[in-house]
Amino acid sequence: MRASLKRLNLFGQGPLIALLLLCAIMSLLTGRFLSPLNLTNILVQSSIMAVIAIGMTFVIVGGGFDLSVGSTVALAGSIAAMTMPQFGLIAGVLAGVATGGAVGLVNGAIVAKLGINPFITTLGTMVLVRGVVYIVTGGAPVGDDRLPSAFLAFGTGRFLGIHYLVWVPAILVVVLTWAMQATPYGRRIYATGGNREAAYLSGIPVERIVASTYVWCGALAGLAGVMLAARLQSGQPTAGEFYELTAIAAVVLGGASLHGGEGSLYNSIIGVFIMVVLGNGLNLLNVDSYWQRVAIGVVIIAAAAADRLRSRS
Amino acid sequence: MAIPAAGARAISKHFGATRALDGVDFDVLPGEVHALVGENGAGKSTLVRILAGVHRPDAGEIAIDGRVRQFGGPRDAIAAGVISIPQELRLVPALSVAENLTLGDPPLRNILGVRMVDRSRMRAEAAAQLAELDFAPDLALRIDRLSFAERQLVAIAKALRRRCRVLVLDEPTAALEAREIERLFAALARMKNQGTAIVYVSHRLDEVVALADRCTVLRDGRIAATSRRGEFRVADLVKAMTGRAAAAVEASPSAAGAVLLEDATDRPDAIRLRAHEVIGLAGLLRSGAGAVLRRLFGIGKDTVDIRRDGRPRRIVGPSAAVRAGIGFVPDERRLGLVMKLSVRDNILLPSLDRLARNGRLDRAKGDRLVCELMDMLDIRPRHMHVPASALSGGNQQKVILAKWLARDVSVLLLDEPTQGIDVAAKAQIHAVIGDFAKRGGGVLVRSSDLAELALICSGILALHQGRITDRLRRSEGFDEKRLHAAIGG
Repeated sequence: MRASLKRLNLFGQGPLIALLLLCAIMSLLTGRFLSPLNLTNILVQSSIMAVIAIGMTFVIVGGGFDLSVGSTVALAGSIAAMTMPQFGLIAGVLAGVATGGAVGLVNGAIVAKLGINPFITTLGTMVLVRGVVYIVTGGAPVGDDRLPSAFLAFGTGRFLGIHYLVWVPAILVVVLTWAMQATPYGRRIYATGGNREAAYLSGIPVERIVASTYVWCGALAGLAGVMLAARLQSGQPTAGEFYELTAIAAVVLGGASLHGGEGSLYNSIIGVFIMVVLGNGLNLLNVDSYWQRVAIGVVIIAAAAADRLRSRS
Repeated sequence: MAIPAAGARAISKHFGATRALDGVDFDVLPGEVHALVGENGAGKSTLVRILAGVHRPDAGEIAIDGRVRQFGGPRDAIAAGVISIPQELRLVPALSVAENLTLGDPPLRNILGVRMVDRSRMRAEAAAQLAELDFAPDLALRIDRLSFAERQLVAIAKALRRRCRVLVLDEPTAALEAREIERLFAALARMKNQGTAIVYVSHRLDEVVALADRCTVLRDGRIAATSRRGEFRVADLVKAMTGRAAAAVEASPSAAGAVLLEDATDRPDAIRLRAHEVIGLAGLLRSGAGAVLRRLFGIGKDTVDIRRDGRPRRIVGPSAAVRAGIGFVPDERRLGLVMKLSVRDNILLPSLDRLARNGRLDRAKGDRLVCELMDMLDIRPRHMHVPASALSGGNQQKVILAKWLARDVSVLLLDEPTQGIDVAAKAQIHAVIGDFAKRGGGVLVRSSDLAELALICSGILALHQGRITDRLRRSEGFDEKRLHAAIGG
């Protein structure tokens, strides 16, 4: 009981407090911020990034890093959009997710088995996968009007008044939080990221654990790619650029440590909301898009600095 | 009355609600070794860190050569001539032995008015300094390729190289073998004769008796006793530290049982461990004693063929060893614990698969197990949700042992299980080891403290250059001379 109270204390809720403050400021500055339309907008805009951030949290908690998710989003979306007209909706979704999982497996095998730095490995696959996207699509959007109508409805439709796209991360975060907190597998990820050597000497198969986090990250980026294709009504080869940076920033804003062993899916989602609300609010305030980038960069560094100060005390 | 080289007057220091030091006076004269002893948490490390400029005292003052100083950080202390070697080594892993040894003050030469590091002189100086400790590693080797004890020697050599007024040594011998300790003591004697003041913190009380000119005992942040050479004995120190007389636990030699673990291949360091046995591994640095433990736990690339309870098994990696009911306590605490995780999570780490029901961890069962073990091992504070990093060294070591007791292994491989921890915690760990063996477990323990092995083991294997050179039994009485000869010391 005391433990669960402790987990809910004010200190651990830094990201949520920051988000609420940000929302309060935005709603004071512009009346349009709290309109139902805009809030729905924020939810939909956050949904795809949230799915990516969930996967990224697995990797970062496990002590790794994945730059290839943006390219994976594009590849998975394109593969899904190319598969669907012939083999149907389900096959297309599965193909997209499997494509992402395969990219993750390659990343994980290289990082865990060969011991190559994750930054370099995923920088390599980021460029490589983007190349593959252009090869398979010929550089043009794929799918278009030949996509199944059910798929297009998934990108725009609602269930119980909430977009299908929003249900996806909502369900994922509940199920996967359970997996990370309450299963042996989840606790092993935290231990491996916190101290790989000690985890190894406790009998944990650290290579397999690390590799698996990349598979999660890749597969979820694949799912995000499918969602994005549904929203854009086509597979876009240029989709997902800079998504990796936004996702990593969101996870760090959520309090995860880039040294591994710390972070939670819930807080990473909060981090995503902070990023999206910031962009959305600045848009409503008609802030120049170049200045928006400057502002977002400042926020990321400020969040990292705040985290550093907190962990030092 | 000589002016102290370093003096602390009425020092107090709080950390949150904890009072670490309460009005402590301490000084060390030029050419004097002043030992500082006390249990974990008595305030030794805090006092040492204040002298080294790491912490600022809440009250009181520090004087160097009679002049009051305020240290804003470790740099100020170093500039004032106070050099300290903390327990954790401050070495740069990616740099070579020679580079680390001269870091901060490398030999320079002028090339066309530009000051460059003189690499040949750097190597020469490093070699000379290490030769004083009779240690000759490959100077170009990256420091992280050396063992913990070897890195400790480099750190000591680094401190000896700096000309200093006051040398503060915090547990310098924790990982060292008898031979290196002798060399260190010889080097300290030379420095002492040159007028250096030496503050010496150690848990090894026999060392303190042999080395110190004065000895101060800290208890609960206050000075419990200060006495001069010849006035203190080990028993007195223990009494002053703990407030009670020492009670030695001796291993009760119980009849050995069935063979639990043995090497299936013929090799010069083949092991056979029976139930109820505590087998000690004695050897100098690089004798292969540590390698035996790491090999049996499946660390490294090689697969190991053993017989476990008589059945052949192949060990590929630690996870296979754990499944075979083997636990391992490494010689460095940072290898045994995930510091960010709670005490509870650390204790349960090897047992996660056993606590799962339908894929889900049984939280209540885990809590019960952790509570039981924390009571049994007297782990303090008795809060299972604090991070492991918040515990003292002795309690951390107990948590590492608890990990394997939670898993209910029947073979324990212990590498320096009581290194750098106080007498009380040491006695508790010895009791746990004895109890484990009594209940049918087998223990293989390496320690550089031969007195410790003689105390807890039913048999001792002496290793030298990767071979078992002698086997001593408790029933024959451990002959220390014979043991020294067998390990080549």
